Amino acid sequence: MKVKIKRWHAVATWQWDVNDERCGICYTAFEACCPDCHIPGDDCPPVWGRCNHAFHMHCIMKWLNSQQNANKQTCPACRQKWEFRA
Amino acid sequence: MSTAARRRLMRDLKRLQSDPPQGVQGAPLDNNIMTWQAVIFGPDDTPWEGGTFKLLLEFTEDYPNKAPAVRFVTKMFHPNIYNDGQICLDILQNQWSPIYDVSAILTSIQSLLCDPNPASPANSEASRLYQDNRREYNRRVKEVVEQSWIADDDDDEDGDEEGEEEAGAEKEKGGAAGGGGQA
Repeated sequence: MKVKIKRWHAVATWQWDVNDERCGICYTAFEACCPDCHIPGDDCPPVWGRCNHAFHMHCIMKWLNSQQNANKQTCPACRQKWEFRA
Repeated sequence: MSTAARRRLMRDLKRLQSDPPQGVQGAPLDNNIMTWQAVIFGPDDTPWEGGTFKLLLEFTEDYPNKAPAVRFVTKMFHPNIYNDGQICLDILQNQWSPIYDVSAILTSIQSLLCDPNPASPANSEASRLYQDNRREYNRRVKEVVEQSWIADDDDDEDGDEEGEEEAGAEKEKGGAAGGGGQA
């Protein structure tokens, strides 16, 4: 028997490879975007610190920028100095 | 208007309702999610038992990157609470972190009641009595517990009623608080 495919319709789902399901700063899911964005995805990614805690990139940047003192630029979860994981 | 701070506060409210912590309640005013009223119930088996202590939390658009301004509107007697109701608590000042929410703030303040830090006194008399004369300290605490019932007789803190009236009552009480002076 021969089958001829006339048409097909593919559906895919995606999710970030993050341990937590939501960002600890804005409390929205990583699959959703931070409160300042409208479209989830590559434009609003999670980022990791060397301590392995993850937040929306925009959320952690807002937190770090709100701390004038560089010593206070810490991970919101564990208070270690925040450094982006390479 | 929907801003990051307001959306976060909506999530805080949902969490407070779906997973309510023991002995604390809080809700925004009917017409303003940036200002919340809260009640902390005095923990059982402590001198604070039975007290209903009301607080006001004022958030800015910088929340959760900045802590809210929190103060008791009920008169307090506690080593780390000023006469005007302001609270000396590290997580509300330099140890603030944006992962805290309203629920975490209220439970932290609740645990401060029974676990004061006499090393950073905001009320020197309370601090001194706490260290030197615990019996008298407990008596003074029980006094504010009893006052907390009288001061609250014009409303009950059961739900989402009469935001405006309550807000008015808060202002009056805020103005009346702060007598007594520190030693």
